[in-house]
Order: sequence, then structure tokens, then C-alpha cells
Amino acid sequence: MNNILIYLVIVPLATAFLIPFVDIFSNKARKILVGFSALLEFSIGIYIIISNYGEITEHTFFLKYYLGNWIPPIGITLSMDMLSLFFSTLISVSLLFIITYSIGFIGHHEGKYYVLLFLIWAAMHGIVLTGDIFNLDVFLELMLITSAPLVAFKRNRNGTEAAIKYMFFGAIGGLFIFIGVILVYFNLGTLNFADIAQSFSLLPLFSKKMIIIFFLIGIFIKLGIFPFHFWLSKAHSACPSSISALLSGVIVKVYIYVFIRLFFNVFGFDILRETGLDIIIIVIALTSSILGHVLALSENDIKRMLAYSTVANLGIIVAVLTLNTKLAILAGLLHVMAHLLMKVSLFTATGYLLQFTPSHKLQDLKGVAYKNIILFAGFTLTAAGMIGLPPMIGFASKWHILQAFLDRSFHWGSIIVILGTIIAFFYYIKYIIYGFKTISIGPPERFRLILSVFYRERVVTNIAILFAIAVVVVGVFFKLSYGPIEGAANAVMNPSIYIESILGG
Amino acid sequence: MSRIKHISIVIILAFLGLIMLLDLNKIPNQFEYANSIYHHITNNAVGETGSLNFVTAILYDYRAYDSMGESTIIFGAVSGIVLLLSRKTLPVSSHGLSFIVKRTYGMLTPFIFLFSVYIIAHGHLSPGGGFQGGVILGAISIIFSIVYGSEFDYKRYTPTTKTLLETSGALLFIGIGLIGIIYSGSFLSNLNILNSEPGSLLSAGSIPFINLGIGFKIGAGLAIIFYSMIQKTFKEEASL
Repeated sequence: MNNILIYLVIVPLATAFLIPFVDIFSNKARKILVGFSALLEFSIGIYIIISNYGEITEHTFFLKYYLGNWIPPIGITLSMDMLSLFFSTLISVSLLFIITYSIGFIGHHEGKYYVLLFLIWAAMHGIVLTGDIFNLDVFLELMLITSAPLVAFKRNRNGTEAAIKYMFFGAIGGLFIFIGVILVYFNLGTLNFADIAQSFSLLPLFSKKMIIIFFLIGIFIKLGIFPFHFWLSKAHSACPSSISALLSGVIVKVYIYVFIRLFFNVFGFDILRETGLDIIIIVIALTSSILGHVLALSENDIKRMLAYSTVANLGIIVAVLTLNTKLAILAGLLHVMAHLLMKVSLFTATGYLLQFTPSHKLQDLKGVAYKNIILFAGFTLTAAGMIGLPPMIGFASKWHILQAFLDRSFHWGSIIVILGTIIAFFYYIKYIIYGFKTISIGPPERFRLILSVFYRERVVTNIAILFAIAVVVVGVFFKLSYGPIEGAANAVMNPSIYIESILGG
Repeated sequence: MSRIKHISIVIILAFLGLIMLLDLNKIPNQFEYANSIYHHITNNAVGETGSLNFVTAILYDYRAYDSMGESTIIFGAVSGIVLLLSRKTLPVSSHGLSFIVKRTYGMLTPFIFLFSVYIIAHGHLSPGGGFQGGVILGAISIIFSIVYGSEFDYKRYTPTTKTLLETSGALLFIGIGLIGIIYSGSFLSNLNILNSEPGSLLSAGSIPFINLGIGFKIGAGLAIIFYSMIQKTFKEEASL
């Protein structure tokens, strides 16, 4: 029993409750609270890594927590294995910087904005740590409800429409997952992950198929995989850039975590292979990937282009994970990290640049590079990483994905990866060229026309540049991240370890 | 075109419903499983939690963490609605309903309040609990602004008061959870110090207090939601 796990959820949750309370008395106290809590939550993650460093290097790391002292099948269990640790670290690091970015970008006058951000943080840690299928559903719902108002944050027609779409399709996806949870409880009489994993294979095939399909549709709607991709680009582009970075970079990765946890550890991959669903998932995900790239190419709006690129990358991640070899899962998790870093970097930089343009359109981006040349250089480097050029992290992950496809001799997959890379090159280079184009009026006069509304401009530029540096540095030293990712891949491949660690004493 | 669309939707839904029905027929009776948590709860709930109401025992003891998440969903929805709909204008009050309604409602209000407190406080003994009682509590504020006009409601219960009630309810919940860590080493564990024999009002450990926290959270939250939504109507009325 280790109390540290529950604090990962409680600290952001209590902060969210405290913010309106503190806000009544003092505006300044709230600013301090926001910064302090973000740092506290981050340092809890650091503390977990430091105090268990030996076990993490040996890949035997496992923490569990029984809420209310109820032993597993009865109460709710929290657990943290290598996979949860990997995602939890990514969430903590990116959320800390996104909140710092928001302080510069949105300012401090919106108290409720930070309430919602901390609730999302709590929900994400709740999802990553939980060992209970109904609890997972509750926190998925919490994440949806709290992120939908942020999509409509701009309070204009476009944002409201996007938020309604986001809310609607998210709720439908949640409904599918909820029906899946009901079926699981009806069939097995338990809600604990490990308990389900132990007895799931004993069910009749028809029930198994039914449960799997409900969960699969629910998660695919939430992820924006091919037949359900249409809502994602609008939702991810209508909000302020800090929220775009959060949605497109971090929240979709949490859904990827749910996909991995449910289909590899809880239900087991065998059921997908038995029913032949794994090939179907790969085909759908690859279709989604190529479609995302093509739609991104046809798009004229920079934020929508980035959102469609998310669709493309999520497709690749799901496809490569479903190959279910150790190399494939390693490649998938590496790309999860790479895509998170690069998408957050691109959206934070775009958020800065778009403050100086009349609209998000390609033509209006002309000459925007001269506004802040270092930041645009970072944007260019990250875009190159997105295409897959060395030495950025995008190269390393794409190389592994390619190898994973070739290893299983799944040549269609590798062809689509290469094709996607070529298409991505064209749509990114378009924006970079436009950014460097000089225009006849000359940049200074043109940019003076638009009022930029930063609260603290230095914070915004520094965070954007920091993420671009992270993309390059992690790309050069990506071998260092092999250890934890390999541990996470081990955890994915061996569900028996998870079951034994939770149920066995 | 739209007719074809409608018919195809109906066919798809009927098909899915048929599959569902087939699956539900094949489901074994889960109560026959020896290791189902159903058996454990029906046999031991009263002894372990002290609550006579099994539903409450599950909601606020076995799976109290879920209830925390669910009440947080409402808290998040309230925050989101306030974020999107909040405007700085003071609401211009309507005059409310007629004298008779005002008098009658004035006499009824204490009883409605008492009823909501009863439902919250007796959550572990009879049907009801924090969620249900909280809704009645929120309804008082809503009926106030309909019967007496929203200005009355605004003066009696300012948004600050409502926010204070809501956050203190939420913090009470987390506080009880944290006391559980100090007392028996686990978050949201039942505080057995407060137990007496099952069936009396102050039994079932921390369950009544969690109910109280959730009741205030939900009641104030719903009042805030209603209040943020009517503001725009009143602004339009003022322009007329």
C-alpha cells in the first residue's frame, strides 16, 4: 500500500475545488495556488520515479492502492505499472508546461479556465491509474465534460458548433463504452481489471465479440479513427491554441492508453486474433491514416491541417500497436511520445504566430516568420520532425514503425507510412515557405494592424521554443528512452504480470 | 432522399437491437457465479458498512471513489457553464408571480428545505441520499427566482454564497477521504469511530457526512447552472 498514488488524483482535484473558493477572497492567491499546485503535482510524479528508480530500471515496478481498504474484486483498485508510469509522466510534463503557457496566453482573469484544466488533469491521472472498468468510464466522462467548455472557450459561432459536435460524439462514444461496461458486469459479475482478465476467456464467443465491439466502437469514436474522423478537426482547431495542444497532444493519448490497457491486458489480444478483428482494425486505422494525410493536404487552414495530421498519426499508432509484436508496441509507444511532443510544440508555436495574422488561412501567414525568427525556426524543425527527418524524434519513431511493419511483412502498412511521409512533406513545406515569404507592405506595418492579446509574451515564446528544443534533444538521445518504453512494452505484452500483481496479495 | 435516410436508420437500429437482444438472451445469470461481488455485498454490506441501504453502501463506501468522480462531473459541468455563459451584467428582475403564490410558497419553503435535509441525512437508512436531496435543495433556489423574481433570489443567495456552498461541499468530501488516510491508512475508508448500531441516524461511519457534502455540492451547483442560464433572458427583457 502506497498512499502516493492517490495524491496524483487528489492534488489536481482539490486544486480545482479550491480555485473558486480562493477566488472569492483574493485574486492574487489564486495565481499562486495555480502555479504551486501544478508544480506540486509534477513533483509527485518525479518523487515516484526517484523513490522507485531501481525497480524501474529492472522493469519490475508496480504500485497498487486499495481505496477504502477493500480487497480487489470488491472495491476499487488503483495501480501503476510501467505503462501507467510512462503515460503519467508524459501527462504531468506536458500539463505543467501547457498550464504555464496558458498563464502567458490566456492570462489570469479567467478563473474557471484553470478549474477545468485541473479537472482534466485529475481525470487523466484517474484514467491512467485506475484498475476498475466502471471507474474508467466515470473518469472518461469527466474528461469529456470538462474539455467540452474549453473547446467553446472563444464563445464565437465556430467554437460553439465545434464544442457541440465534440460533446455529442464524445458522449456517443462514452455511451458505447458504458454499454460495454454493463455487458461486462452482467457477464462476469465483476468490474476489476485483473478479475475480468482472469475469467474473460471463459465466456461464450458471442458475448466476447459483443463486448469487444462495443468497446472498440466507443474508443474509435473518441479517437477519431476513420469512419468517425469528421468531428475531430473542427473541435481541435476552433479552440485557443493552448487547448488545441491539450486536446490534440495529450487527451487523445489517454484514449490510446485506454485502448492498450483494455485490449492487451484486460480482454487479452487473443480474442482479437481469434475473431480476425486485428486485421480489420489495422486496415481501418491505415485508411484513417492515409485519409488524414490527404485531408490535411487539401486544407487551407493551419490549425485544421494540424488537426487532420493528428487523425493521420493516431491511425498509424493504432495500426502499429495492433500488430502485437514487441517491436511494434515499442514503436507505437515511441510514436505516442514523439507525436505528443511535436503536436504540443506545433500548436504552441502556432498559437503565438496566429496572434499576428488576421485569420488562420495560409495566405494570411505570409511573412509571419519575421515576427519571431527563432520561434519559427523551432516550428520548422518540429514540422521536419513531423515529416520524419533526422535528427528529430519523429524520425526515430517513424523508423521503428517502418521496421515493425516490415518485421511482420505487412507491406501495405510500410507503403502507407512512406506515402504519408511524402504527403506530409508537401503540406508542411507549404506553410514554411509562406512563413518566410516577404510581402510588399513589409512585415512591421502589417503586423501592427492586429492587436496581440498576450498576457505575458515572453512565457509564450519560451514555452514554444522549449518544446521545439525538446523535440530535437529527445530525438538525438532517443536511445535513453528505450529503457522505460521497453518496460512499458513488457507490461503490455505480459498481462499475466498485471493480473498476478493485483490479485496475488 | 431524407425518407430513404430515415428508413435506413430505422433498419440499422432495429438490426442492432436484435443483436443486442440475442446477446442478452445468451447471458448467463451472473448471480450464479460463485465469485461475483454481488454475493459479497448482499451478505456482508450491513455488517461491514453499517448502512441499511445497500445502494448507499455501494455508492458511498465500496465505490465512494466513483461517487467522487460523478459529483465532480457535475462540478465540472457547472464550471463550464459558468465559464461560457457568465456575463457581468446584473440581472434585471421580473416581479415574480401573484401575491397568493408568493405567500403560499413562503409558507412551504421551510418544509421543502426540511424534506431535502431529511433525504440527505437519511441516505444510509432509506432511499435517497446526497444526489437526490441536493436536487431538491437546488430546486428551492430555482423556485425562488420564479416565484419572487430573480432579484430576490440574488439578494438572498448571492453567487458568492452559492459558490462557497458548492466548493465547501466538494472540500468536505475530499476532507473525509483524507481523514480516512490518517485514521486507517486508506483514502475514503469508512470512519468506524462514528458508528453506533445500524438503523440509527448517526450510524454507517462517514456515509452521512459524504452525503451531506454531495448534497450541498449538487444543490448549489444546480442553482448556479440555472442562474447562469437565466441571465441572458433577463438581459433581453431589459432591452425591451
